[in-house]
Amino acid sequence: MSPTSRTGPIDDVGLVPFGSGLQRGLDARSLCTRGVERETLAGLGLPVGAGLTIPVPNVPGFTSPDRAKAAMNLVEDIAGREISSTTETGGLVLLRLSASAPVAAAGLPPDLTCLGLKRSVIPEGLGPKARGELGAAWWKTAAFIAEHALGVPIEDLGSLDFDYPDLVERVEPFRRLCEEKGSSPFPTKRSEQVAAAAQAMLARWNSPRAARARRKQNLPADLPLALHLETIVVTEHDAEGHGFAMSRDMDSGQFAPNGLFRHGFRAGGERQQIGHPLSKLPNGVEMLTGVLAELEGRLCSSVIVDFEFGPEGLALVGLEQMRKPNARVATSLVVDLVTRGISSEIDAVRAVESTHVLELLHPQPKLTGADVPFVSGLAASPGAAVGRIAITSESAVDMAESGDSVLLVMSETTPGDLPGMMAATGIMTINGGSASHAAVVARGMGRPAICGAGDLRIDHEAQTLTAGAHVLHAGDVISIDGASGVAYVGELIIEPPTPSPSLTALLGWADDLRRMGVRANADNGADAAIAMDSGAEGIGLCRTEHQFMGDRLPLVRRVILSHDFDAEAAALAALADAQREDFRDLLRAVGDRPVTVRLLDAPMHEFLPASAELAEDANQARMLEHMHEENPMLGVRGVRLALMHEGLYPAQVEGLFNAWVDVVSAGDAHPELEVMIPLVSIPDELLMMLRLIRRVNQEVSSRSGMVIPFKIGTMVETPRAALLADQLAQWAEFISFGTNDLTQLTYGFSRDDVERRMLGTYLSKGLMTASPFAELDESGVGALMSYAVDKARSVRPDIKLGICGEHGGDPSSIEICERLGLDYVSCSPSRIPVARLAAAHARVGSVNSVNSVNIAPGAVERSGSGS
Amino acid sequence: MSDVVLAEGEHDALVALVIRGMARGEVSAQQQALADAGLILIKGPIMMPTPVGTAFVAESLRLPEQAPERERVMATFHRFLPVNRALRDLCTAWQVRPDGSVNDHSDENYDADIRDRLDDIDDSVAPLLKRFSEDLPRMAGYREKLTEALAKLDEGDDTWLASPLIDSYHTVWMHLHQELILTIGMTRKEDEELEERLVAESGA
Repeated sequence: MSPTSRTGPIDDVGLVPFGSGLQRGLDARSLCTRGVERETLAGLGLPVGAGLTIPVPNVPGFTSPDRAKAAMNLVEDIAGREISSTTETGGLVLLRLSASAPVAAAGLPPDLTCLGLKRSVIPEGLGPKARGELGAAWWKTAAFIAEHALGVPIEDLGSLDFDYPDLVERVEPFRRLCEEKGSSPFPTKRSEQVAAAAQAMLARWNSPRAARARRKQNLPADLPLALHLETIVVTEHDAEGHGFAMSRDMDSGQFAPNGLFRHGFRAGGERQQIGHPLSKLPNGVEMLTGVLAELEGRLCSSVIVDFEFGPEGLALVGLEQMRKPNARVATSLVVDLVTRGISSEIDAVRAVESTHVLELLHPQPKLTGADVPFVSGLAASPGAAVGRIAITSESAVDMAESGDSVLLVMSETTPGDLPGMMAATGIMTINGGSASHAAVVARGMGRPAICGAGDLRIDHEAQTLTAGAHVLHAGDVISIDGASGVAYVGELIIEPPTPSPSLTALLGWADDLRRMGVRANADNGADAAIAMDSGAEGIGLCRTEHQFMGDRLPLVRRVILSHDFDAEAAALAALADAQREDFRDLLRAVGDRPVTVRLLDAPMHEFLPASAELAEDANQARMLEHMHEENPMLGVRGVRLALMHEGLYPAQVEGLFNAWVDVVSAGDAHPELEVMIPLVSIPDELLMMLRLIRRVNQEVSSRSGMVIPFKIGTMVETPRAALLADQLAQWAEFISFGTNDLTQLTYGFSRDDVERRMLGTYLSKGLMTASPFAELDESGVGALMSYAVDKARSVRPDIKLGICGEHGGDPSSIEICERLGLDYVSCSPSRIPVARLAAAHARVGSVNSVNSVNIAPGAVERSGSGS
Repeated sequence: MSDVVLAEGEHDALVALVIRGMARGEVSAQQQALADAGLILIKGPIMMPTPVGTAFVAESLRLPEQAPERERVMATFHRFLPVNRALRDLCTAWQVRPDGSVNDHSDENYDADIRDRLDDIDDSVAPLLKRFSEDLPRMAGYREKLTEALAKLDEGDDTWLASPLIDSYHTVWMHLHQELILTIGMTRKEDEELEERLVAESGA
């Protein structure tokens, strides 16, 4: 609920024992979060500790000792024990005062424990550990009261802390300090102390510090407080203690109650991260397991409960719903809730953010079983990295300068090692935990890191690293996995992990809900295989220019730079053969799905020699000078190059059709071929290419005796193409929007220049809210696309329309594609899971989007596999 | 090394560079003199101390065993280390939520709580800085630098809490810690072990 949504005045409702508020019609407005927690827990029929809430309207009056006394009496009645009395196990009954607001709020005053202590009555039975804890907690409470209720300067309290390390010796100077510098002496009566504690809490809640915390959260400045007064037992008996239990394992996300407990009493409000595992609880973990499962079902959230236990059993004293669970927990929870019949599949899909999925798919080393683990430590910063070992900051800087990928491995890092840390792609240390300098800095810089690899030894003289039987040298290559904390000898392949069963289930439901197809941009068999494993329904963009790099480069150069027909023909034939091999791998990986092959589209400078000196001969050198372009991105590229070298695209499709014949006749697969012509702006460019390609198709068909079905389509990358989409659709059976180029040409932006130099200014001046290359510009580029969609469908209603720019993997752009009515999006293989979920969100909405098309689950239809 | 004699400004410049690890920008006359003496290395726009420069600073900052203020400094340092742990834990929480996910700073309640807890840490370190400065006048500047980082943080730029690339609260704190370690003459490992022990004692 909103703290400002008060529907009417809240009356004096007196004191509200835990668990009796709901039946009195009270809610968070008067009971506040901790009061409501106890109501929820009591609703499960479980003991929730002996205490009461002083509801919002009664808090101001509570700073009087009479009211405090009345509350203390009521707590004693509820507990059936007197404050300051001794329990059967020798514990001392005292009070804890805490505060909460109607909504989760930072800046709350700390819990004040050990109130109600009769002067010098510490039971003899109390052991030294309990006395020590009691003393420390008492000092915190007393100093807080002195500072905030009596106005004693904090510096003076700090000095006492120094000058009198012994608590017993500190008491007298403390009383004197309060008398001298406080607005009144430190109260002696127990009810006066409780009232003063309440007064101190309110003063702190009204301090600039707490006001800043409310401002930071956009909470009202006058957000009220409720107070909660309850008994605690100061003890060191083994049968008594406190702890917390989380419903889920944070690493796997699965329901697996876990937490820690300690003997003794809870001195502060914060959860202690040291203690025993729940499995060692005196009465076992079964009851907590049941409670956590019940709470998850009721609250549809992963939860953490705080508990106390004693001879009487377990009491639940706190409940926290995890507001922003990590991706593993979020996914596993929603899937479990569907399995338990508590929520629907559509709710589950809506509940998980699409970008959250990326967190589940952090790149990690691909393990083959033959990998050699080198050493392991703490998983300090996620991600994976491969590089050469540097054992000093200086050598890391040197090695990085010479172009090596470097992993900095040191005993520990200090601020002085920053240059090396910045130069490195990953960091590993021997000492230090997840809060060490190395870990904090690595996370700050987004570098993967392993810390506390204690088995590692560095010998600076010998320049070696030793772990167990392995001895490596500075400069050797290792791979580190910052998510598992394991380092490996040598270079491992880094790739996304296999999705968990929960994620697989969730994405399956998303597939049922989305309308748009999801395809991948993949240029070779390996990428295509990853994409298909990730759930891609085909290839939306195979960039053939990527196949032309490396040892194929001379062939392409010869085609473009050749001066005689024979040389060009020979080069083209070699090219067709090489392509045949490339496409075979790709088509096998695609299986029976559609695959869009875009013919050569790279700007000339990407594959010609950088200067005439690098040419193979004098003729090439002359051609090179002749072909120099001022702006290659807008020069002889795509279909333009193909029209100037008419053998180029036919050679490519000959390779493609032959490869299709190879895989189909071998029974490996039956892919649906789609041939795409890039950078078209004149419809007849497309027509001319169509004629050439058909001719090759017929030639290969008659040679092989197989009919080779294919579709022809075009990219829409230029505004002119978008405006003439109806004319293109006369020939094109599909259109794919190349939104990177379309964005450049619509804005007149040169992407690299603009992103490097201008974008920051535009973002800070509010002229843009995001890079138009990251998030599709709906009002400009989107308008052109919308026009093109309408025009194309007016001529060819069944034309297939997609997007293959980077925008195809961006959730907000995917939402725009849904509104534009595109048939599919195509994105990089690693973004496929994000796109599947985002396409479902675009259809049925999500926790974050309110603008998406709102339809009933039954009305959801999808265009199948994008074919 | 003992034959190296530095002007006072040069000494301060060298100490600053050793503690920070590197500096960028225009080379000052002092830095040039240090480079000529082989104490720092100038590499393009970056300046770094040489091993000789680092050893020189370690020796010049180190309090002798018999120094009269050593006992008090050590006592204060023992109080500093648990607060140091609290600050490091806080910076970790700022970057990584308790469940291991990256803090994307979209949860205002979470971030506001961390900012609020930073005040507790700043309150705890204030009397310690005062004590250190009484014995080690060099340390007086840290109070102001921490306060500056807090002010920038509260102006709304979150990077001033833990970014390693600017003089954020964490960066200034790490410099402070490093200078204390050099002053006491401990290794990082000894320092971490002592901190571990003190934290365990205070939390037991």
